[in-house]
Amino acid sequence: MPKIVSQVASNTVETQPTAAQHAQPVAPTIAIRKSCNPDGIGLSHYVLMDRKAAK
Amino acid sequence: MIAAIAERAARGTLFQALDIGHPLYAAVTDPQTAFWALVDKTRIHEAGRDPALLAAYGAMVEQFSRELHALRFGLKPSGVYLNPTERCNLNCTYCYLPDSQRSSGSHMPVETLLASLGKLRDYFRSVMPADRKPRAIFHGAEPLMNQAAVFAAIDAFADDFVFGLQTNGTLLDDAALDFLTSRNVSIGLSLDGPVAGITDATRRTWGGKSVHDKVLRAMEKLRGYGSWSVITTCTTENLPYLTHMVELFHANEVPTCMLNTLRCTLPGARGVKPADGDMGKAFFVALDRTYELYQETGRKLMVANFANILIGILAPTARRLMCDISPCGGGRAFFALAADGSLYPCSEFIGLPRFNGGSLLTGGVEAALDSAAFREVTTRDVDRFSPCGDCAIRHFCGSPCPAEAFEMNGGMDKIGAFCDFYKEQVNYALRLIADGKADDYLWDGWDEGTETIFVMS
Repeated sequence: MPKIVSQVASNTVETQPTAAQHAQPVAPTIAIRKSCNPDGIGLSHYVLMDRKAAK
Repeated sequence: MIAAIAERAARGTLFQALDIGHPLYAAVTDPQTAFWALVDKTRIHEAGRDPALLAAYGAMVEQFSRELHALRFGLKPSGVYLNPTERCNLNCTYCYLPDSQRSSGSHMPVETLLASLGKLRDYFRSVMPADRKPRAIFHGAEPLMNQAAVFAAIDAFADDFVFGLQTNGTLLDDAALDFLTSRNVSIGLSLDGPVAGITDATRRTWGGKSVHDKVLRAMEKLRGYGSWSVITTCTTENLPYLTHMVELFHANEVPTCMLNTLRCTLPGARGVKPADGDMGKAFFVALDRTYELYQETGRKLMVANFANILIGILAPTARRLMCDISPCGGGRAFFALAADGSLYPCSEFIGLPRFNGGSLLTGGVEAALDSAAFREVTTRDVDRFSPCGDCAIRHFCGSPCPAEAFEMNGGMDKIGAFCDFYKEQVNYALRLIADGKADDYLWDGWDEGTETIFVMS
């Protein structure tokens, strides 16, 4: 695993667990993915957010 | 595929790790598939060896890869942005269309507009399922400068398209509003300030007159209508007032707004471009305020450009805006028809003749989609240029916009104008997911029609 990197390039940080942190309960992993047929056509000058209204 | 995952995991190249600024969680992503997971930040270095995570991801990686590839390379257009006139009655500081067109350009004749829609209808019928209508959005310059042609087209093709209209709001009198709302046309307005003095800094008539109050009147009349939104273009002039903007929108029951970064395609916009850090600071304070307002009133104000980032993470194929994906939607999910009858990948390119894909009526849509002008845009791929090619969030962002990358930064293989701001939006979105708050920033029922294909929690 590479080092953990902040999204802002000028602020790279490393996070190493401490002994105290290891003693705490581990936060459960979270991951979600939903899927559908893509039909977005919005752009930054116009948007219609409601999929139903787009039919 | 599981073997490939195991091999990449063994090499330590499967996941990229991100500090998202959350007290408990950090993120890992596999940018190749837009996969992400939030893991205990004290265990982030072990995530690439977590057997449960690797097994779950390995079982789905092929499907995720196919899905993302189809979204990025397999779409057929289902929408068109129609520019029925080159003219605008306003002279906004940051407009992406050339001054000469907006001040003294031409209208598209009504006969040309009707013939164009007929040709577009036939094209969309050839590529879209019979149970879906294409969308046609009248767009600017200011489309209501050619109102008679626009309204004639909406009535003539009511059965063939779902219509929208993006307008500066200054020509929306009662008759125009009655016409549009009675036909269920989706209406987008623009307003840049909570008070006239702020709006006037960037949005005025050619003679320098304020239009702020006219837009407020249009907002008042649209209150309660089912499908409308307001765009605020964020500049150095209004950045300190974004929180006041969302309070104004919420008080006026605006269902959806966008707090957009301005597009730096033409030089005029670059003079009022905020720095990424300033943009993020003001934007997230305003976003936090929308959450507070929701908690206080039970009524949401959707900030659509952020909601789209959030949706792009939770459900990549459900995104509504097609700017934040690479290649972008221009020339793929939609295209634009200019007032002179030429096709462009997106309205953003209309001031740039290099990206003219040819005439709709004499050349057709297929020829434009296949033109070198369109291909220059539709082949812009963040996997293939630096620094995006190594970025953990490149398929949540897409490095918009190709027009400004080309004009402002010197090429299609350059980043867009707000790289760090996009990174901070992704951090913010992932923190919301970690805190279980994502749905509070999305419209109710946003995931209807989607299927949950992966869950770990």
